[in-house]
Amino acid sequence: MIGRRNLSIGVRTLLALALVILAGFPVFWMINTAMTPVGDLYANNQRIVPDFSRTLNIFQVLVSDSPFLRWLGNSALVAGGTTMLSLLLACLAAYALSRYKFVGKGLMTFGFFATQMLPEALLIVPLYSMFMTLGLLNELYGLVLVNTAFAMPVAVFLLKSAMDTVPYEIEESARVDGCNALTILQVMFIPLIAPSLAAAAVITFFDGWNEYLFATTFIHDTANWVASTGLASFIGEFTTPLDMVFSGAIVFTIPAAIFFLLMQRKIVAGLTAGSVKG
Amino acid sequence: MASLTFDALSKSYGANTVISDFSATVDDKEFLVLLGPSGCGKSTMLRMVAGLTDISSGTLKFGDDVVNTLTPKQRNIAFVFQSYALYPHMTVRANIAFPLIMDNFRWWYHLPFVGAVMRSRLLKRPDIKAKIERTAEMLELTDYLQRRPKALSGGQRQRVAVARSIIREPAIYLFDEPLSNLDAKLRMQMRAEISALHARVQKTFVYVTHDQVEAMTMGTRIIVMNEGVVQQYGTPAEIYSAPANEFVARFIGSPPMNIFAATVRDGLLYVGDVPVQNSGGWAASVVALGLQTVSLGVRAEKIGLDSPGGDLLSIEAHTLVVEHLGAETIVGVKTGQVGATVDVGVGASRGLHYARIAGEEQFTTNSGCRITFASDAVHLFDPETGKRLEH
Ligand SMILES: Nc1ncnc2c1ncn2[C@@H]1O[C@H](COP(=O)(O)OP(=O)(O)O)[C@@H](O)[C@H]1O
Ligand SMILES: [Mg+2]
Repeated sequence: MIGRRNLSIGVRTLLALALVILAGFPVFWMINTAMTPVGDLYANNQRIVPDFSRTLNIFQVLVSDSPFLRWLGNSALVAGGTTMLSLLLACLAAYALSRYKFVGKGLMTFGFFATQMLPEALLIVPLYSMFMTLGLLNELYGLVLVNTAFAMPVAVFLLKSAMDTVPYEIEESARVDGCNALTILQVMFIPLIAPSLAAAAVITFFDGWNEYLFATTFIHDTANWVASTGLASFIGEFTTPLDMVFSGAIVFTIPAAIFFLLMQRKIVAGLTAGSVKG
Repeated sequence: MASLTFDALSKSYGANTVISDFSATVDDKEFLVLLGPSGCGKSTMLRMVAGLTDISSGTLKFGDDVVNTLTPKQRNIAFVFQSYALYPHMTVRANIAFPLIMDNFRWWYHLPFVGAVMRSRLLKRPDIKAKIERTAEMLELTDYLQRRPKALSGGQRQRVAVARSIIREPAIYLFDEPLSNLDAKLRMQMRAEISALHARVQKTFVYVTHDQVEAMTMGTRIIVMNEGVVQQYGTPAEIYSAPANEFVARFIGSPPMNIFAATVRDGLLYVGDVPVQNSGGWAASVVALGLQTVSLGVRAEKIGLDSPGGDLLSIEAHTLVVEHLGAETIVGVKTGQVGATVDVGVGASRGLHYARIAGEEQFTTNSGCRITFASDAVHLFDPETGKRLEH
């Protein structure tokens, strides 16, 4: 019996290990490549065990003559702006969809869905001409606007279903105590749906951080590039410094990973327990 | 002054009328209980008083002021929900303080971020702090002020809900079945606490329940409702001793009042085929009312078994169920001899009458007995309308 149990634990451990390797290998390869001299890469001289004396090469992109740090900063502005604007609008929209009856509610819900159905590539030409007219080309806040348009509806659905679970009595009790709708949203709903809010923050932040198509098309000035555009620019017509590309990719991943880890702690369920019933 | 006047209050959801023509006047400082079975519209009624549900027609007055269109806040009420509706993300202290804090809100505190700062500042204001402490002490919550609601027992949550309602000293207190989530023992304790609270704050209470024991023990006035219609309005004693109709008679009291469908035959009352001994006088008065059939109501505690004699009315019967409760015994009986009725399945509870007897007496099931009761224990009801017949 004990043997069989050990066996099953062993099998499970192996399986888990296999999954970890599967998921972790690309990351390892990214780090490994960033640490290998570019000559070795093209000379079919790739190492399996990284050369740890070249560890600092992981961050070589930061000391190269490209303004990569500035691009990262631009990415942070765009992603942060997208997150804040999306969440602000999504909270208001989700509250209305969750708690109010109004004419055109179904149409509005469909409208949110519709934004998700249209491929971005299809919209890029009309959007470009619209942005040109409005003078939004080459501006970071223009990117914030366009990213928000695509990220916000997802947040609306996420937040609406979270708000649906908040008991009506809590809202009514707050009304008896003298809250208006805006205060109820701030004081009751937002704390109660904090886990979903954090999840929505992650989704919208990544949307803004990873976005490439609009960023490349709308921003012409190198100084206003975001990191995704900058990274792609390393891939040259004649040469591609692979170690530099991978170094950039690592540095590009780190802020997003940190943001995720910060938010992950907030994504815990069970806040509403104990409000209603015993 | 917060007397309550309901004038032909009605509520409909589309074609579905939930409350129809509700009229009553309740004096200041009364403890009014709205009593009725589940789904009869009690909560709807209370929510209309609170301003949480719109009134379809009729007028509602607090004192001399029509309040139909006022917001809950403007009505200066407190509402204790069945589910308590505590704010789960706030400590007990913040929960209790919340109504006071909102009372001290200026319009610009409703803005984002400003509100959060002002709320925590108000929570620390000396007068508010003192009031929280006083209220917590009154409800023995002092040791729990820093806890979240989920770390409290059912009774403590109930107390937090009450504390939150009294802190603002409203003119009217509204309770919607506040004890229904508690176990029997705690319920009894909280009943006493709420009654004591009423005596202490001297304000008008409106208390909704489906539990007649709560109504009888706590209310100074009871409105019995059924299907959105007022059945009777009176003091607990009036409602118990002179129920206005069969519904009220059966709803108040446990076990419910026994109703015998009686027919006048040969100058006597008959229940089915069984004659009621000594019922000559009653038969005559029923005929005098112009009726041939009548519903005879007798409370379970007014019924004796096996002790006919004198001028007691008595009916031949047999025992079916015996429930020993210790201090008392509830005996379920049916009229007629043993074996005269079908006693399985649904048939077992049909036509069953209850007697409530002192606990010392012993009974066995399926044995013959006589149902006996005194003349002055009888209530007469019209068999068609169910209305009380004065005699
Ligand atoms: N928002 C609503 N829409 C439609 N019908 C409702 C609504 N609220 C309550 N009702 C109906 O009104 C009736 C009374 O409900 P309620 O006042 O909650 O009863 P009680 O509190 O006495 O159990 C029920 O039949 C219920 O279905
Ligand atoms: Mg109810």
